Amino acid sequence: MLSNPKNAIWEAFLLTGVVFVIGLLLGISYENGKIDQINEYYADSEISLTDIMAMNKIIDTKNLSCEVLIDSNLGFADKIYEEVRLLEKYEDSGKISDGMKLAHKKYDLLRTFLWVNSGETLKRCRNFSVVVYLYEYESDDLIQKANQNVWSKVLYDLKQDVGRDIILIPIAVDSNLTSLNSLVGRFDIESFPAVIINDKNVLTKLSSVEEIKKYL
Amino acid sequence: MVEVLTIIYLTYSFVAMYFLFLFLLIYIPHRKKIFLYPETEKNYSLSIVVPCYNEAESIGETIQRLLDSNYKGLKKIIVVDDCSTDNSYEVIKKYAKKYSRVLAVQTPKNTGRASGAKNYGFKFVKTNLIGFVDADSYPDVNAIGRMIGFFDDEKVGAVTSQVLVKNRNNLIEKMQAIEYKIIVFTRKLLVFIDAIYVTPWPLAIYRKTAFDKVKGFDESNLTEDIEITWHLVYAGYTVRMCVPALVYTIAPSKFKDWFKQRIRWNVGGLQTIKKYNRTFLKKGMLGNFILPFFVFSWGLGIFGLFVLSYRIARKFIVQYLSTKYAIGAQTAILTLRDLNLTPNVLVFFGLMILIFSIWFTLLVLFRLKEKEFKQHSLWDMFSYMFIYLVAYPFLLVISIYKFLRRKQTW
Repeated sequence: MLSNPKNAIWEAFLLTGVVFVIGLLLGISYENGKIDQINEYYADSEISLTDIMAMNKIIDTKNLSCEVLIDSNLGFADKIYEEVRLLEKYEDSGKISDGMKLAHKKYDLLRTFLWVNSGETLKRCRNFSVVVYLYEYESDDLIQKANQNVWSKVLYDLKQDVGRDIILIPIAVDSNLTSLNSLVGRFDIESFPAVIINDKNVLTKLSSVEEIKKYL
Repeated sequence: MVEVLTIIYLTYSFVAMYFLFLFLLIYIPHRKKIFLYPETEKNYSLSIVVPCYNEAESIGETIQRLLDSNYKGLKKIIVVDDCSTDNSYEVIKKYAKKYSRVLAVQTPKNTGRASGAKNYGFKFVKTNLIGFVDADSYPDVNAIGRMIGFFDDEKVGAVTSQVLVKNRNNLIEKMQAIEYKIIVFTRKLLVFIDAIYVTPWPLAIYRKTAFDKVKGFDESNLTEDIEITWHLVYAGYTVRMCVPALVYTIAPSKFKDWFKQRIRWNVGGLQTIKKYNRTFLKKGMLGNFILPFFVFSWGLGIFGLFVLSYRIARKFIVQYLSTKYAIGAQTAILTLRDLNLTPNVLVFFGLMILIFSIWFTLLVLFRLKEKEFKQHSLWDMFSYMFIYLVAYPFLLVISIYKFLRRKQTW
């Protein structure tokens, strides 16, 4: 403490600066810990996806049943659905580091792969449905945000209702992925959110669980 | 990229932490000096001016409290009736008739504001010191005597007191009782860095030569007690505060009266900022601390209110639309899955500031404990911190509007 009381003005500034920087560093370290956790999940999911894709390739040559293939796709879809929910929670609360955005993009790519792979599985094994939910993650439009909030609830309810009969794949279309853009481009969708069921039916108007079930 | 909103929140966290640390750094080395006051051998003559407008109910007790003062140098109690429409002047005259130290005077016509009556009363002052006491304020018997010693320092132009709320029946009064104590304590801490910014109406004493030099109160200003303090600091005087000099005042009991009073204070604050804006970052502590402190408090308060309102409005619209759509889609409006309790750096900073603020509030209430009153309840403290303080930025916005439209009157 310096002798002139007025020095408190500068001392307080320095002290605040020090506490603030320590707080920021702790915050960055905390957020990085969350990113590391997500990256670990991602690495594990990447292995699972590669495994499923390999299974898809060998289904013709080996005596592999559709049931096993569908189970793998379903299990994987459910796994990354929960992981992305966790990621989005972390991303919502992550304020000072950008790592979560990259993780989100990687997951979108993973889910695009899953969409392609599920489409192939669907061609071979018909007794399940693929529901792809396309939304804009960084939308500022309040109507769109509210619409997306409700769509995700409806689809969650649908998943709870029909369980293992559908593979639910939510994907953010604003991830700027060329493969995803090409896939989405095939459906002539003008506005998001949109739901694509079994690569045939496209729903852009908010619907209830019962209405969606008619397309499964 | 860090979002703009995050940068704004971090800036607010920084400023809030800065002021908490500043008060802490001033408090720690001076904690034993807060209640000290210098004794004096000198006998300064003193006149007290009491402006009065329609205060028939309280003026008698105020005069009596001044008569009871143990300060021997108190020569005159000049009670200025500002052409009251009630029987205030009759009450004053009764006291004047009974006590030779009491002088009853009346302004030729209603001046419309306390500063007019105060300046009128000043014309009758012939003493070394001049004090002002509100007609609804009650100084303790030894309050004035404790303030006088500060004038031994020739640089001291004014000494202010510890103003507390007398009436504490309903919530708004109780919240003001806490607020006044926080103000007292922080103002005392600011004295240690020569940054005191107000000598409140209920009891303040000025050196007559200093009062002459600044030509009394600025009658065009709605908060002459802020204006004169800045004027004294501008003129090179220092201002001191005597915490053991207690004066109890009547705070507004109704929201409407409280609101009107605060708008007046804030508009007066803006008038003062405007008057002294040329000193910004120039003239000693006035330009380098007091003025920036006021300007930034205003700026941050108003900007914060707009950011918060924008965020709340957006949340509300999204929630409203989501509810509407959810009903249409026959799904749940709210689920536990919507909750996101993941903490982040802003939550940590916010918690730290909150804990620090609660600690500071408790410290103030503990240090300014009164024997005559019950301790403040937790509910009063909660209401003060989360209702009273949160509502304040709205007052600032309305005050700016009134200031720009020149609408506010006394």
